[in-house]
Amino acid sequence: MATKTLRDKYCIVGVGETEYSRGSGRTTRAMAVEAVRKAILDAGLRASDVDGMLDYQGGDSTFAPHVAPDLGIRLNFYMDVVGGGSSTEALVGLAMGAIETGMCNTVAIYRSMNGYSEFRIGGTGARAAQPVRGMDLAQVPFGMRSAGQTFAFTFMRHMHEYGTTSEQVAHVKVAHSKHASQNPKAVQKERVTVQDVVGSRWIVKPLHLLDCCLETDNATCLIVTSAERARDLRARPIYIMGVAGRVSKPRVDFHWAHGPISRVAGYYAKDIVFGQAGIRPEDVHVTGSYDAFTFTTMLQLEEYGFCKKGEGGAYVSSGIIELGGKRPNNTSGGHLCEGYTHGMSMVIENVRQLRGTVDDTCPGAAEGKHTHDYSVGKCRQVKDAEITMNLGWAMPATGSALIMRR
Amino acid sequence: MPQPVTYRGMTLIVPDNDSEWKEYFAHARQHRLMLRACKACGLMRYPPTHACPWCMDLGWTWKEVSGRGTIYSYEVVHHAIQPGFKDATPYGVVLVELDEQRGQPTADEGLRIIGNLVKPDGVSFEDDTQVAIGKRVRVVFQDLAEHMALVQFALSDEAPPGRVWRLPE
Repeated sequence: MATKTLRDKYCIVGVGETEYSRGSGRTTRAMAVEAVRKAILDAGLRASDVDGMLDYQGGDSTFAPHVAPDLGIRLNFYMDVVGGGSSTEALVGLAMGAIETGMCNTVAIYRSMNGYSEFRIGGTGARAAQPVRGMDLAQVPFGMRSAGQTFAFTFMRHMHEYGTTSEQVAHVKVAHSKHASQNPKAVQKERVTVQDVVGSRWIVKPLHLLDCCLETDNATCLIVTSAERARDLRARPIYIMGVAGRVSKPRVDFHWAHGPISRVAGYYAKDIVFGQAGIRPEDVHVTGSYDAFTFTTMLQLEEYGFCKKGEGGAYVSSGIIELGGKRPNNTSGGHLCEGYTHGMSMVIENVRQLRGTVDDTCPGAAEGKHTHDYSVGKCRQVKDAEITMNLGWAMPATGSALIMRR
Repeated sequence: MPQPVTYRGMTLIVPDNDSEWKEYFAHARQHRLMLRACKACGLMRYPPTHACPWCMDLGWTWKEVSGRGTIYSYEVVHHAIQPGFKDATPYGVVLVELDEQRGQPTADEGLRIIGNLVKPDGVSFEDDTQVAIGKRVRVVFQDLAEHMALVQFALSDEAPPGRVWRLPE
């Protein structure tokens, strides 16, 4: 079946973000306003040019009807979506759909969260007091509630089936820490070694502390509009080649029933997104793979066909995913090192990679001049990056994807 | 409405209108592991749901299973996030594949249930070094209230059918 595609008809024209911190000291409303404003200015637009708004959250943020008016934006379309990881790419697709139908012209997508200081992941604090009922009864009474605890069966089974080792997977953190060391915004800029990762304390086997991402306070925003509208805007338009949103395995909420459980949703998403884009994995120069955990990056790169199924451990430990390697992943440091944004920051980073304007520590970065010297504290701009791909993760059973070009 | 059940600091609620779980936990309290089986195609399913995920039929009956199975995957929690589990760390959580309906209706599917690996008393957690993929287990029931018991698993003395594997230390 031929894949329907809107390839190259829509663009991301603006990106914005607030500081990545562990204590913002302000509301998600204030942060969202700052991030949306920055993205609008980045695009060279005015508030009156934006007439659509999408955001996502899990009861931990501020809805669009409170953010838009703060900036003087009058909306022709908005929707507040429940969700975390994998929402970014899905909402890019929904924004394209909203514009395609004529409901609106230009959409701001934001995520704002005090993910460290207010609402931490995993049902701790206020969330821990919630009664357990319904589908939660299948796992929460057994001490299985956090994201890491919920994903660990999949990770462990992958190690059992394919011989994947902790040391191999640790290379994801090593690579991302290398990239974060060239990122002035990153929460954790120190480079780490494989030994640092496997020597850190256990959280839930097979995850060590350094296999897990950094909960962060932050807001992020992307502006989506038509390619036609994008042509006369300030920033170089970044074209959307393909998008897949929240593609899921059978029996999403109890996906362990359907196997192999070491398979993740990218297995189903890849044909949609590559079909739309008309390219193959080897055509992608830079990836941004959701790294809630080291394992999630490994599993997705494997499932989308950047290596063979089962060879993800060897692939991520080969140097390919590092800056200077054949196909760097999460050049900002990702959720493991830059900070946790439920997927948004990795799309922002890839937009900047394609523009050639990554905000690294090169002396000429502000003017878009890069040395491509990837030693400590220097460049993180990939030379001549033309095509990027984002691999969004909600859980083993649900994922999204986005392919962009300059 | 039955009283909420307190277990390890959590409040577990199975209201009278919980048409998925109420009877499942009531059966467990009678120390019977009962799953829903489709009246049309006969396939069992877990968790208990209202339609057959294979043929979409709405008719079902409760069917008792042996509660014997093999550990399909596992994890060991060292950093508990639920306060009531902090004194139990490190504890094992297991995904048990039941003997019934293994590899049906497709090769990679089975009836898999999440539980803790517990001692034969059904209450105290088994030593975490005992948790491994491929080990044989049997169901045990942890009574929590008059209307509710948790389905847990204990090691059985059966020989494992294949490779036993656990994460290298």
